[in-house]
Amino acid sequence: MTTVLRVVLILMSVLVLVVMLRKIRQSKARIEDSMFWVFFALLLVLLSVFPQIATWLSDLVGTMSTSNFIFLLMIFLLLVKSFSMSMRVSQLETKLKELTQKIAIDDNELEKRLSPENFHLAEEEEKMK
Amino acid sequence: MSNVLVVIPAYNEEENIERVVGNLIKNYPEFDYVVVNDGSKDRTAEICRRNGYNLLDLPVNLGLAGGFQAGFKYAWRNHYQYAVQFDGDGQHRPEYIRAMREKISEGYDIVIGSRFVTKKKPKSMRMLGGNMISLAIRFTTGLKIKDPTSGMRMFSRKMIEEFALSLNYGPEPDTISYLIKQGAKVTEVQVAMDERTAGVSYLNPVNAVKYMSKMLFSILIIQNFRKRDKRFKRKTGGNEG
Repeated sequence: MTTVLRVVLILMSVLVLVVMLRKIRQSKARIEDSMFWVFFALLLVLLSVFPQIATWLSDLVGTMSTSNFIFLLMIFLLLVKSFSMSMRVSQLETKLKELTQKIAIDDNELEKRLSPENFHLAEEEEKMK
Repeated sequence: MSNVLVVIPAYNEEENIERVVGNLIKNYPEFDYVVVNDGSKDRTAEICRRNGYNLLDLPVNLGLAGGFQAGFKYAWRNHYQYAVQFDGDGQHRPEYIRAMREKISEGYDIVIGSRFVTKKKPKSMRMLGGNMISLAIRFTTGLKIKDPTSGMRMFSRKMIEEFALSLNYGPEPDTISYLIKQGAKVTEVQVAMDERTAGVSYLNPVNAVKYMSKMLFSILIIQNFRKRDKRFKRKTGGNEG
């Protein structure tokens, strides 16, 4: 790994850390969601400060150069992240759909109850109390 | 109260909705209906409210599957025996609902309002898509569905429950194919359909190709890996797995 690449990686990591911590300060990101990025940034710092770790891992896996191994690692981590994001979007969309449908159905019932022709229903309810 | 609910999903149908629902109320009072306004940007909801239509007003746009499901949740909650999927753009004709109800009361789970049971299919690019889906369904289930893309379908009470409560039950041919495989009894009844009279169709060539590939991919591959909720298995006596 060249010194330039190491410096770039460290600068990038620091940037990611700063941005992420700022988002948390501004209450724009949940702590759970920041963990991945903080971990990601720390990992990059670790690998740039101690390139021997990356070199050792690279030899172990058999990649042509240490920087190739770094790329591979980053691609892998991002793939995992994007997979989990995709799962979460699916779940969120399902929840959103359920809520939307519930709102519409509840509204419909409310409007029926409030409409003049069903006024006796409301009166009966009043009496029940 | 009728035992049939007509579910009318509507997205930006201000030009059609009054005519479609008005016709249903005036000429077919034996059926109940609910309009599902799927977060329209035009005056669809306003028109429904002004006319006092029975309306489910979704606050955001969910797409056809989400709107359709909202209607089926309503049907399930209000104990309807049958529910019909019915377009808000006026291409479906309510006079065929009776025939569909007669057919479904023979013990079917799903009755499709089909354009091609007794009538021959015209040979056109548009029909090519339908044919390919037919072929895919026949290949995976062994059943011949002549008009799988017809958007006019009637569902039995147990299907209403299943569509209302589960995920990945869009009102599309792939779900039908899946349910046939699971042992649901599906048949077709001849109907005629009108061309849409106002508003814009969603079906342009690009969307048609997208839709087709999604359906074929889903029917031929994805549906084979689905697992059915235990709740619904015994009810249609479906296959294991």
